[in-house]
Amino acid sequence: MLGPGAADVAFEVNGHPASVHVPPHHTLLDALRDELGLTGAKRVCDEGTCGACTVLVDGRPTYSCMTLAVACEGRSIETVEGLAHDGQLDPVQQAFIATDAYQCGFCTPGQIMSVVALLRANKAPTAEDVHRAVAGNLCRCGAYPGIVEAALRAARARRR
Amino acid sequence: MKSDHARVVRTRVEFEGEITDELALIQGDDVEAWPEGAALEKVGRPTPRIDGASKVTGRARYTHDLRLPGMLHVRILRSPYARARVRRIDASQALALAGVRGVLHRFNAPKAAFRGEETIFRDEVRFVGDEVAAVAATSEEIAAQALRLITVDYEVLPHVVDLEEAMDDASPRIDEKGNVEEAAKHERGDVAGALREADVVVEATYRTSTQLHNSFETHGAVATWDGDLLTVHESTQHVFGVRQGLQAALRIPYGKIRVLCENMGGGFGSKGGVGKYTIIAALFARELGLPVRCVLDRGEENLAAGNRSATLQRVSVAVKGGRITALAHDSWSNAGQGRWVADPTGPTKGLYDVPNVRARSYKVMANTGSLSAFRAPGYVEGTFALEAAIDEAADRARIDPLELRRRHAAGEHDPMSGLRYSLKRLIDCYDIGAKEIGWSRRKPGGLRGSAPGTRRGLGMASQLWGGSGLPPAYAMVHLNPDGTAVARIGTQDIGTGTRTIIAQICAEELGIDVDAVRVEIGDTDSPYAPISAGSLTVSSIGPAVRLAARDAREQLLEIAAGIMEVPKTELRMQRGSIGARGALRSIAKVFEDLQNYTVIGRGARMPNPEDVSMKTFGAHFAEVEVDPRTGEVTVERVVAVHDIGRVIDPLTARSQVQGGVIQALGFALTEERHVDRATGRVLSTSLEIYKVPTVKDVPKIVVRFVDVPDTEANNIGAKGLGEPPIIPTAGAIANAVSNALGIRVRHLPLTPRRLLQLVAAAEAEGAGGRGAARPS
Amino acid sequence: MKPFAYARPATVAEASRLLGRGSPAIAGGTDLLGLMKGGIAVPERLVDLSGIEGLRGWSRERGAGLRIGALTPLVDLEEDDRLARSLPIVREALADAATLQLKGMGTIGGNLLQRNRCWYFRDEAFPCWLKGGIRCFAADGESHYHAVVGTDAGCNRVTPSDLAPALVAHDAQVRLASARGTRTVSVADLFTDPALHRREEHTIRPGEILTHVVVPEAGLQRRGTYRKAMDRKAWSFALVSVAAAARVREGRLRDVRIVLGSVAPIPWRALEAEQAVEGTTVDDAQARRASELVLRDAVPLKDNAYKIPLARELVRRALLRLAGA
Repeated sequence: MLGPGAADVAFEVNGHPASVHVPPHHTLLDALRDELGLTGAKRVCDEGTCGACTVLVDGRPTYSCMTLAVACEGRSIETVEGLAHDGQLDPVQQAFIATDAYQCGFCTPGQIMSVVALLRANKAPTAEDVHRAVAGNLCRCGAYPGIVEAALRAARARRR
Repeated sequence: MKSDHARVVRTRVEFEGEITDELALIQGDDVEAWPEGAALEKVGRPTPRIDGASKVTGRARYTHDLRLPGMLHVRILRSPYARARVRRIDASQALALAGVRGVLHRFNAPKAAFRGEETIFRDEVRFVGDEVAAVAATSEEIAAQALRLITVDYEVLPHVVDLEEAMDDASPRIDEKGNVEEAAKHERGDVAGALREADVVVEATYRTSTQLHNSFETHGAVATWDGDLLTVHESTQHVFGVRQGLQAALRIPYGKIRVLCENMGGGFGSKGGVGKYTIIAALFARELGLPVRCVLDRGEENLAAGNRSATLQRVSVAVKGGRITALAHDSWSNAGQGRWVADPTGPTKGLYDVPNVRARSYKVMANTGSLSAFRAPGYVEGTFALEAAIDEAADRARIDPLELRRRHAAGEHDPMSGLRYSLKRLIDCYDIGAKEIGWSRRKPGGLRGSAPGTRRGLGMASQLWGGSGLPPAYAMVHLNPDGTAVARIGTQDIGTGTRTIIAQICAEELGIDVDAVRVEIGDTDSPYAPISAGSLTVSSIGPAVRLAARDAREQLLEIAAGIMEVPKTELRMQRGSIGARGALRSIAKVFEDLQNYTVIGRGARMPNPEDVSMKTFGAHFAEVEVDPRTGEVTVERVVAVHDIGRVIDPLTARSQVQGGVIQALGFALTEERHVDRATGRVLSTSLEIYKVPTVKDVPKIVVRFVDVPDTEANNIGAKGLGEPPIIPTAGAIANAVSNALGIRVRHLPLTPRRLLQLVAAAEAEGAGGRGAARPS
Repeated sequence: MKPFAYARPATVAEASRLLGRGSPAIAGGTDLLGLMKGGIAVPERLVDLSGIEGLRGWSRERGAGLRIGALTPLVDLEEDDRLARSLPIVREALADAATLQLKGMGTIGGNLLQRNRCWYFRDEAFPCWLKGGIRCFAADGESHYHAVVGTDAGCNRVTPSDLAPALVAHDAQVRLASARGTRTVSVADLFTDPALHRREEHTIRPGEILTHVVVPEAGLQRRGTYRKAMDRKAWSFALVSVAAAARVREGRLRDVRIVLGSVAPIPWRALEAEQAVEGTTVDDAQARRASELVLRDAVPLKDNAYKIPLARELVRRALLRLAGA
């Protein structure tokens, strides 16, 4: 039993062990943004409807605003901050730039994480597969055509 | 530059449909616009955003992301009543809560002017969500907890929230003068006569619903005082507007205020200036001596951060001899508690050459949150009503609706001012769009759909907007010794790619790579730039940036001429080098001896020409499939054609058009604020209930530009593209659905509920076996 | 959210001991956390079921029907080709349900036990009947998404689950375990009969854990189909949904079930329409006649009359699909 006060929770973030001291009512998004300073995942709806806070939990795209931090004990979390390696952007990130798959950029980290998860499971997605993957990631600027294009382009780049 | 002296000139400016004469301080001389077909190397080339990497890595820092040492957090107590007098507030229990640092409300807050009122906490709160008190605490959670400990004694007053109820004389009067106020009127020719003599008159009533911006980054600010210097980070479309608002509210000199906006997560018109949250953050920060963050949550965003007014519109169209002879348009907009109102009759007055026009627009007050500008305010609503009515008239007169419009779209003079257009390619937009969508397939009564019982239709609508930009706007460009450049201007990038466009224009003038230009914006310590709204950013700052870069280049060439001992007139700058007849020297080489000598270029936006009317035009064509039995509308394709002068970056311009179309798609089909009339509470404060389009709602969008520079407008030949792509889409979709079903669409959004109601009503009416879904 | 304690038991028995009033279970959390953020649910302790082994995945044993662990994420059910052969309606019902993220987090048990989406219920400021108040605010308020039938108790909520109508159409059951033992109820009976006038949506008792969903052999013999109308193309709760299932032999429908979602406080059986097509081969005219029997007792509110023709049309299409496939 934990709480209602703060407790230590240990998990892995972007391949590195991390630990936070949070009460049970704090979400993974709270922990990432406020405890770990990872502000890529955004708080937009804060109730699991928009996807701007999407991160991967054990590889699965997850709304971090609707996930309790304590429930992440021992799990592997991936955020947009962990995608680039040695200054080299992930093909999905590169494709987002090339196709201009954003305007204000606020939903972009969540969109990218959803696409990353899709491409790991599906090397050659169709546009329809991409739609399914990002239908839970709203974009108020309406960058959807670019996002779909970016996902397909990144998949092609990965296959090459 | 010859005349470097500063001088004040009068200039005609257009902002969101309003044309005014203003004074502007300028300096230097302008240069000729790049002509059509000019061989440009950076401008006009698809250029990925220079800040792309920061956005895709999560590094891009938004106001929401700011974490300052010791920072306090504010939550705001908002009125639960649509209208009430605040009689007493007891905050003692809230103040006693551990972690609470302060509470502000009408009985203890210092006076702070805000939009014509003396205080930010009203004694009579006028909508659910109106600010009543604010708490600063060490965490948002504690602040939220403290709100529940504040007791407020309200005297509840009668309210009205619905537009048409507010117009009813029997409803509570919110204002002594009544709830309805005339906002704009225009009359030309003899409308009554034209209506009398017409072959066909269509008169119809149209309704549009309240649309909520739902910027993904909610409104918010972080304020810090360093001694008497106030620094505010704010998610805004106008850092200088925020500064002005703070100056007015706090009565401190401009020199003591700095407003910053590095990145912002969407505004769409709603972030035009200071907010109450900004002032609250600044007041707490001053009182408590710590940084203070005040950021709205999603629910608050949809209560108190603006909206596009719901409208009721009556449009009459007279047709005689195959031409439109008169337009009459009366429009009422629910301004909520707003102090102004957008004008939905703008397109009726100016889009088509029609000799007889009468337009009246009214502001209606109600107990809901204020409207705020929402991307082409008025024009989105009004274009829908106008273009739907014109389609009705065309159908009744048995004229192809595009053909009817063509007869009124070729005029070379602005019907409002009588001035010649600097550039108007509306007919080109029609030609390109009609070909792309396959307009010749359109049949009165629509086409069969892909599944049994479904229908297919084509529709189009035209677009009129300003977008010519305005002074004042100033830019500074300085060169580093290695030939890289820094451009500094007090604009902000609201997601449109402003940074990239500045870099392109600089690079073009300096003959260097786009990558070699660093762009510093979003800071009131830079030269002034106007609000990023009304499609005026590129056309306002672009010309100033070009002049600044050019000024820097001229200075550099001057220096180089001396060093290289070549006449300046023979020198050219290209690809990072300076050269003359075979001799090429890199900029870095030129600077070798000068080292830290800094070349500073300055540029000011020149006044607009007086003798022309500068507008943007466009046309959208939509193809839809409709299932009249489930009420489902599927927009399959939208062809968007725009005439905005020169396109600076086709890549970001395409995004801008797609985004406009998609926001309009929401306005047309899914987005609607729901309010409980009995209590005035907004029911659709979440993104679950308030339905913005998802990726699956999006049609194939074909984007085309006429892409001819408007060389009379300004030295870059470009006009704005923020508003144009959201203006005609809803009209095109509504007309396509009307075409598909043979039932007129007069109320947006066209949800399955409304469509099923329309079909049921048409069937009830449709005697003699004339089924609604199968019109003759 | 208000602070609460958190427990993550490893067994059903341990979990059952921890559960109770003020101490609800959490699985995916996609509904409960929303209720907690909105101040509608204020638990003192959450009992996280995710640590319990053996409640994930599904199995089908001859004669014993299909057994699905309650903690199985929805997306696992949707993507499973073998399951789609055993009970195709699950994939169909999940295709337009929620979002990929929510389906990865949410479980089948949670989907059935999610609470209604009424905007008055979900707004803390409205003391509606279901929350202990005296009236339904939708009755004379804004009622676009509300019930048109079955609202005896004066609560006009609707069932939001996509799976519930689909599972009812296949006579599915749920296993409810507690320290006192295990019981099995039909999915239909998991929903509180509005006529009983209880301020609750489900019949699960405090201390009980929904451990499995079971579709008996007879239910698996039916062919089923699911139709959902939404007001945008993705990520919407149904305006109206219809699950229809029947044994189909030589075009004839037997054991017909027609179950509507989002029209009533419970998954709503269209009994008259079921009877009208029972034992028949459904053609166009037959489907139309039967669909016209749907929701004949409906009493729409100010804004939701559209649901009636919409439900009839979805039933007509579902029947034709059943007969034709």
